[in-house]
Amino acid sequence: MLSRNLRFLSRRYSQGVTFRTTETSPSQQNENQIGLFYTVNNDVCKQLFGHGGLPKSYMKQTKTFTETSLMVRLPALDIINCIKATDFDKPVIRYMLYGEIGAGKSLTLAHLLHYAYEDGYLIVHVPWVSEWLRRVPRHKEMSNSPTHEGLVDLPLDGAAWLLHFKMQNQVLLKKGNLKISKEYVWSKREQTPEGAPLAELIEHGITRVKYACDVIDALISEIKILSNSKQCKTFVAIDGFNTFFYPLTRLSTPTKKKVTPEEVTLTKSFMELTKNDWVNGVIILTADQLGVSQDHQESHLPKYLLYKKGFEHIDPFVPVEVGRYSEREFMSCASYYRDRLWLRGPRETEGELKLASACNPYKFMELCAPL
Amino acid sequence: MYLIFCHKSVILNKLIKMSLFIRNYKPGVAYNAQILWRFNSTTAETVKQGEDEEEFRVLDILHKKGKLQKRVNRRADIQPDRSEKMPTDQNWGNVWPGPRSFHPSSVPLPIRQGYVPKGQAPPGKKANAELMKIPNFLHLTPPVVKSQCEALKKFCTSWPKLLNSEEAIEKNYPMEIISSDYCHASPTIRNPLARIVTLRVKLSNLKLDSRARDKFLRLVGDKYDEKTDLVTLTADRCPVRKQNMDYVNYLLTACYHESWTVEDWETDKCLEDMEYYDFDLNPSKKNLVNWYLMSNNEDNNLNDEQVKNFDVSKIPNGVEYKSAVSELFNEGESDLALNKYDTSVRKLLGLPEKKIAN
Repeated sequence: MLSRNLRFLSRRYSQGVTFRTTETSPSQQNENQIGLFYTVNNDVCKQLFGHGGLPKSYMKQTKTFTETSLMVRLPALDIINCIKATDFDKPVIRYMLYGEIGAGKSLTLAHLLHYAYEDGYLIVHVPWVSEWLRRVPRHKEMSNSPTHEGLVDLPLDGAAWLLHFKMQNQVLLKKGNLKISKEYVWSKREQTPEGAPLAELIEHGITRVKYACDVIDALISEIKILSNSKQCKTFVAIDGFNTFFYPLTRLSTPTKKKVTPEEVTLTKSFMELTKNDWVNGVIILTADQLGVSQDHQESHLPKYLLYKKGFEHIDPFVPVEVGRYSEREFMSCASYYRDRLWLRGPRETEGELKLASACNPYKFMELCAPL
Repeated sequence: MYLIFCHKSVILNKLIKMSLFIRNYKPGVAYNAQILWRFNSTTAETVKQGEDEEEFRVLDILHKKGKLQKRVNRRADIQPDRSEKMPTDQNWGNVWPGPRSFHPSSVPLPIRQGYVPKGQAPPGKKANAELMKIPNFLHLTPPVVKSQCEALKKFCTSWPKLLNSEEAIEKNYPMEIISSDYCHASPTIRNPLARIVTLRVKLSNLKLDSRARDKFLRLVGDKYDEKTDLVTLTADRCPVRKQNMDYVNYLLTACYHESWTVEDWETDKCLEDMEYYDFDLNPSKKNLVNWYLMSNNEDNNLNDEQVKNFDVSKIPNGVEYKSAVSELFNEGESDLALNKYDTSVRKLLGLPEKKIAN
């Protein structure tokens, strides 16, 4: 037992220097740490990604590896660098992450979320837009919006997202200095008075699921007002943003009418949020091929995925490509997998895996699974 | 000692006889006949040995052997080939004055053509259908062409001196008419190909504004070549060249005037019908202008007309951004175009440059 522990320790020690970094604060990381892994604190991880935000296969892997390790990669550092240089009195700047399937867009977003969390931003994070518009499980609930004529509410999804929002921002919300600017009347007996804390609004949305989508709409306009008045700075992250612009959703009304994304209230709210008519915030979006149907996956470039309409909605934006692993990143990832005993066998395996996976991070992980 | 020697010589003798036997042995007539047939088609002559004297005579009732052996009498006074008698300093133009299919005796060249069997040379020029099939240019040797040009010179006028360069020709004669004349010895002097007329004109020589140019290009379609800026109209539908010429002229005139007329429905053209991306008409410009005004804390209540007329060069790095967006839409999305867009946006928004992995 002792010798095993010793072996384990020595392995960690001998290889630890080559692929790990002890710098766990994203804002302090720099180019020297590119390709190195850092471990996200478990509590933070639970708070940020407890209700989604990390890809499923990666979640499984974190369970296997008993730690949430993220690789420090160039796109994230690039954006953090840009955010640090941003003038927050000017309209929000929108960043668009794009790249091939499995290149690590969502994990880059997770890295940036960690940065935002550490830096005290109010986080508005949509883990996966397709979850709302394209995934139709049996319990999917849809209802016609009482406030917006001709639009459709997704109350359960809305409430789930409010829970996610509450979870991510519990520290800021607990302080209670974020107040709402006007009175919201939901029904005869239910109303949220002016000056009530933001948490109360959210709580109302969670408990009264019927109003969840309207609460989101109100919440987003409140967040914009709060940011404009410099009471908080806001970090918006939307994964699979291009799904909002795909002509059709998989939803259909009880009368079998196909629903377009514009007819969903959630779309309307988040379109409002991604405009650059407010200040003191950062918007990071991703364009993902998996977010749209198979007939529109020919290219991973943002204009193709967003259509002209989406492009015009968010331009001028900063396109940031998340590419495949570089040589250094690949070797670092391989040694990390070796450390976690995810990859075994002779050293020559790496070269073969590199060719077989074409340095695509997701493919590499998949290929290593049976080894 | 002698005895042994003698014995040896006997054995040697026997051996020699044996080898002679092997050398002269013929397995049979059938074998010989097969060999004969095999060699028959080739040029090589089989070495045919005479009848072996020592064989028994065979009764030849049907006189088969006599037939086989019958000799073809050749003329002894056969003339050598004409091509071998030709002098080396002859006038080739006289030997081969016009187009003609190949004739081996007239061409003093060791030409070979055809299927090449393994290890052999290709078939020679005599009785060679392959050489006769292909067209030859033996009547168009450079000295012949030269002499024919000399002969034609007296019918030509001299080239105008002022038209000494391509540019001068292009400037003074912007329109080009191309037709072909055919001349050959046959019962009729007409060739149906002579009726085809081609008209070429540079599009820049036509007086068109941008709208009329666009319409003209739509009218002529693929008859316009973007690389050379040439419009090429070809007519071959009428039986006579004159008619085709008139038709080509008519086509150009009609297209030109039609492109200048404005129909009522042309004003219905909206943004989606545009064949190219015009930054000034698209929402991207509105986004840019609104962003600029907002970041400078000015009111952004411009109407569409004001936005359209807003000068992009007032915005720092605005022109570069405009060209990047236009390129992204006009030339299609690519990594290169996106990179350009990226750099221009970063400049516009005042962000640090993209980090590059070292």
